[in-house]
Amino acid sequence: MTLEAKTEQPVVITQTMNQPKESKIKDFLSILTMNKAAMVGAIIILFYIFVALFAPLLAPYDPYEINLENKLIPPSTDHWMGTDDKGRDILSRILYGSRLSMGIGITAVIFGAFFGIIFGLIAGYYGKWIDSTIMRIMDILLAFPGILLALAIISTLGPGLINVTIAVGAYSIPLFARIVRGSTLEVKRLEYIDAVRSLGADDLTIIFKHILPNILSPIIVQGTLRLATVILSAAGLSFLGLGAQPPSPEWGTMLSSGRDFLFSAPYIAIFPGLAISILVLGFNIFGDGLRDAFDPRMKK
Amino acid sequence: MTESNKPILEVKGLKTHFFTKRGVSKAVDGIDFSLHKGETLGIVGESGCGKSITSLSILRLIPSPPGKIAGGQVLFKGKDLVTISEDEMRRVRGNEISMIFQEPMTSLNPVLPVGEQIAEALRMHQNMGRKAAWERAVEMLKLVGIPSPEKRAKQEPFQLSGGMRQRVMIAMALACTPEVLIADEPTTALDVTIQAQILELIKDLQNRLGMGVIMITHDLGVVAETCDTVAVMYAGNIIEHAPTEKIFANPRHPYTQGLLDSLPKIHEDQEELQTIEGSVPSPYNMPAGCRFASRCPHQQPICHEQQPELIEQNDGVKVRCWMYTDLWTVKMVKEEAVK
Amino acid sequence: MLMFIVRRLLQTIPVIIGVTFVVFFIMQLVPGDPAVLLAGEGASKETIEAIRDQLGLNRPLLVQYFDYLTSVFRGDFGVSLKNSQPVLDEILVRLPITVELSFFSILITIVLGMAAGIISAIKPYSLKDTTVMIVALLGISLPSFWFGLMLMYFFSVKLQILPVAGWDSILHVILPALTLGAGGAAIVARMTRSSMLEVIRQDYIRTARAKGVRESVIIYKHGLRNALIPVITVVGLQFGALLGGTVLVESIFAINGLGRMIVDSIRMRDLPMVQGGVLVASLVFVVVNLIVDVLYRFFNKRIELN
Repeated sequence: MTLEAKTEQPVVITQTMNQPKESKIKDFLSILTMNKAAMVGAIIILFYIFVALFAPLLAPYDPYEINLENKLIPPSTDHWMGTDDKGRDILSRILYGSRLSMGIGITAVIFGAFFGIIFGLIAGYYGKWIDSTIMRIMDILLAFPGILLALAIISTLGPGLINVTIAVGAYSIPLFARIVRGSTLEVKRLEYIDAVRSLGADDLTIIFKHILPNILSPIIVQGTLRLATVILSAAGLSFLGLGAQPPSPEWGTMLSSGRDFLFSAPYIAIFPGLAISILVLGFNIFGDGLRDAFDPRMKK
Repeated sequence: MTESNKPILEVKGLKTHFFTKRGVSKAVDGIDFSLHKGETLGIVGESGCGKSITSLSILRLIPSPPGKIAGGQVLFKGKDLVTISEDEMRRVRGNEISMIFQEPMTSLNPVLPVGEQIAEALRMHQNMGRKAAWERAVEMLKLVGIPSPEKRAKQEPFQLSGGMRQRVMIAMALACTPEVLIADEPTTALDVTIQAQILELIKDLQNRLGMGVIMITHDLGVVAETCDTVAVMYAGNIIEHAPTEKIFANPRHPYTQGLLDSLPKIHEDQEELQTIEGSVPSPYNMPAGCRFASRCPHQQPICHEQQPELIEQNDGVKVRCWMYTDLWTVKMVKEEAVK
Repeated sequence: MLMFIVRRLLQTIPVIIGVTFVVFFIMQLVPGDPAVLLAGEGASKETIEAIRDQLGLNRPLLVQYFDYLTSVFRGDFGVSLKNSQPVLDEILVRLPITVELSFFSILITIVLGMAAGIISAIKPYSLKDTTVMIVALLGISLPSFWFGLMLMYFFSVKLQILPVAGWDSILHVILPALTLGAGGAAIVARMTRSSMLEVIRQDYIRTARAKGVRESVIIYKHGLRNALIPVITVVGLQFGALLGGTVLVESIFAINGLGRMIVDSIRMRDLPMVQGGVLVASLVFVVVNLIVDVLYRFFNKRIELN
């Protein structure tokens, strides 16, 4: 049936594999640059990276300096985003906070991706009982609704920035494993892999030299979209007081302390939230754009 | 068979173009034909020649954008289907002009019982009540030769075989007794034995209901079996239009000749099947002259300069080729003289 | 169909056992001795030893796990370290509130999401479509805890038309349910749109058009029914995210549901409560997944062929 024909990817993959590498990259870049939304996403992400790198130069004030005389000043020319209940400049804190959010996000996704890719590759490549054992374990991890697995992990490790990173990273593992396993199964079926094997390549060579490079695109797309989710989750956990602790300028933590002043000084809560939203938006639209660019079916 | 004087469907200078980023694709570029009651007209050609676009254009089912009927008329019982309102057009579709599609596997809605899919048209066009429409749907299934139609009507498409689904499609198309049936490759996706049954069924129903049939196909065997007249399409044009027996006995256009040569013949000892060299011109970039010229074994300079018209010969065969014009003989004579 | 349900039920058993194992195991990783924790500071060695014996903490891990498993199946989730009340009692008080909140939220996810997706798909690339899709993109990008606070600020503080927090009347439900359902609605909208656009391209839609079916009937009768089949799965997955999200939303709006109980218990290091809460929430999700799978199977009869 046509439905099946459409989901049959290998044909498509062989096509892209036969192309010379440069034209593949060129093709991909041209599609990506044609996608205006993806470019907007890329610009947002680059902007945040820039801010994170140069926060000390950009920040007008010390993000930790308490100055009770200046507390709860609404946004003004001196303090563009106002000051919080301890008189700290919110803009400076947000600029510094970008380092935390980006750092947690990237570390957690790399952590989740690393284990997810290994499990997925092993499951997809070796199949049989190894596959079903690994994937059943992944299913169990996925049976925890949303952030609850991360919560359970934190409940034992205790609150803190590093523990939150581990927790949200861990609950990305099964998602990566699933995607990698699926792609591995597809690539493994290609004749090209048989050819390599018949030339005497061992399993490790096949997995890391021939399969992994061919399944990078779904991993990169998943990674970008995961970054969005992971940053949201980590900020959420910090908001609950389980992640970064005050006086850390982590955005979720800042938001949480802004809650108490929602009536009198709503800007304390508004700006950190905006900072998270725009960054997450950037990763989401960039991820969407990447997916379209990588998806050979979108090519004319 | 074609005695009745006035045709029910007349297509005049129909042009369907697709406006895409790459440019304008002239998929159908000025075609004319007519269809009489009880007549079967075959439209043949390779895939991409515009035959399916022609059939979709008649019912105004071209996806738009990017497709658009850029010119011409489709006259049906005096109305020009190109210009009537969408509402009026809707009342023609499935009611007065019906269509059967190539893919019986995917052309039926997978979540609706097949009986409902037939009854739907009846309720819409014939103002039938739920019960009457259902009964008529069951009757139609019986008519197209589906055993235990009461039971089948309640089933969903996945419970039916390909041949049965195509029968359902036919039942659906004929439920409102249309005057014109357009069959777009109705048998291509089916097994050979089922193919013959389906063609037989269409022919039989045509005789009973007296409708005109447009048979779109790339299969000359189907044409020989079912059609009274044939229009051969090439790159958006009709290049030969003649009664079936004349086309098979004496093809005029070099392309038609090539098509027939590429058919395996049972009675002759052939060393190999002929194929036509070269490729069809891009619809985005049609040549100024004859569209077949670059592949034609008889090509002359004039073929590349100017497009020939579709001209009716003495015996009623219409052909679009310089070889059958006065210009050609004069030219040939000149060339002879030079030699 | 019945066979499928039975098979699917059997498949959930190992998942449930796995979930209990993970929950049990994670709690074993807690640094420190639970007996010391339970006994409280300054307890004598004898007391701690007694508690250890009483809880069976001296025995091998696997034996302890089976003990845990059997007591869970008997409905014994242990007692709270904080007030020594049975965990299950507290859960039974909290769970209905979370279920109620989840119900209204998923309703918003489904109704709002599908409606937006359909509006988008009817005229793709139109102004309406672009607007809806941008809003949906915002919907998946805004942190729920921030969105909730902003809603609270706008409707409760500024306009003063909705209560700030609590869980007394139907009015109290609106903001939390909107906060919790919005993200899912955005995802469902995106999925409905792409699924609808995929369906509109199908041959059977052309058949319906060739039959002379009205465009609105094509969308709702021929298109939507097919387009919604894959959306069912997405709604199921969203339910998981939503259940997890109750943790945040209940904290923001001061709702005494299961989510808030888990967070409060983590803060107070009341591990049996965390254990019980996570376990029950996960079991609810497993059951919902089961129902969703059966529904998907029911609506998508075609897969029965394979």
